[in-house]
Amino acid sequence: MNNAIWLAAGATALGTLLIRMLPLYWMQRRRSEASVTEREAAIPAWPGMLAPLMIAALLGISLAPQPGSALTWGATMMGSLATLSGWYTTRSLGLPVAAGVAAYALVVMSGS
Amino acid sequence: MNAPAWRMGAREALPLLSGYLPVALSFGLVASQAGFSALEATALSLLIYAGASQFLFVGMIAGGASLWLTVVMTLLINARHVVYSLSLAPWLSDSRRWPWLMHGLTDQVFALAHYRLPLLAERDRMSWFASTALVAWAGWGGGTLVGSLAGEQLIMQWPLLADALAFALPALFLVLLAPRCTSMRWAMALLASVLSALLLALLNLTNVAVPLAAALGALCLYLSPETADRTSS
Repeated sequence: MNNAIWLAAGATALGTLLIRMLPLYWMQRRRSEASVTEREAAIPAWPGMLAPLMIAALLGISLAPQPGSALTWGATMMGSLATLSGWYTTRSLGLPVAAGVAAYALVVMSGS
Repeated sequence: MNAPAWRMGAREALPLLSGYLPVALSFGLVASQAGFSALEATALSLLIYAGASQFLFVGMIAGGASLWLTVVMTLLINARHVVYSLSLAPWLSDSRRWPWLMHGLTDQVFALAHYRLPLLAERDRMSWFASTALVAWAGWGGGTLVGSLAGEQLIMQWPLLADALAFALPALFLVLLAPRCTSMRWAMALLASVLSALLLALLNLTNVAVPLAAALGALCLYLSPETADRTSS
């Protein structure tokens, strides 16, 4: 990598860091300037509403099988069902994910 | 340092790792094929630390695109992250360390933190987040290094393992979202976001899928009748 590419990488890294940290910094400043009674109102409600919808969008993107075939779609469906069944049964994080991955792997292996 | 919260964060980051590693291996492989050394590819992963935009960065540089256009395009992809730390703000204290810890706020860490932070005591939150973010960051950097050095051999040797591990991410998102379906109104809005993002991803519009699908879900939530807001659980 020459110096110009390092500079571009540095600019991208700095920009990404600022995108992630500045909104929180701004919120902390706003909150600290508000009185005790106004502190809750200082935090806007819309990010809290938007957050689960963005996670849902991330789920949608990650569900697109690569490569897309009947086998990978089937594996995705079975993996999703196993994950949801695991969550419904255990209400935990780790086991449902392991169950989903195992179901996905079984379908892919059985079809290949 | 709060040891139990650190351990809990590290443990809960493991499902993230199983999703990160195949993608990090692929990035390392793509970067080495584009002429980046293993050290350079790993540095990109540790400094930029944003999956899709790293692929774009390397691809545009290898394709001879203008450097400033590359920077702007990469930052545009990461613009969705603006909302992430704002969404977590109600559970973060005014400590000056928090904004710096946001370097570790990827899509997946955000989804996990949005689920876990409200359930933790305030004194445990920073340790939990730092631990989760550190494990994920190290996994991403380590995966890139391994991918640069031996990605091709690994993917050829265990193609099914890489495919199966990649399902850990959607499985994790499913588990994080399931408790959010507290009413028909929310379930419909979340489903609208999931399906529209899936459709956009299938149309190769992944980069705009998150903001567009979230906006569609918000519209669905706004238009749903209040009568559909009865809690079901």
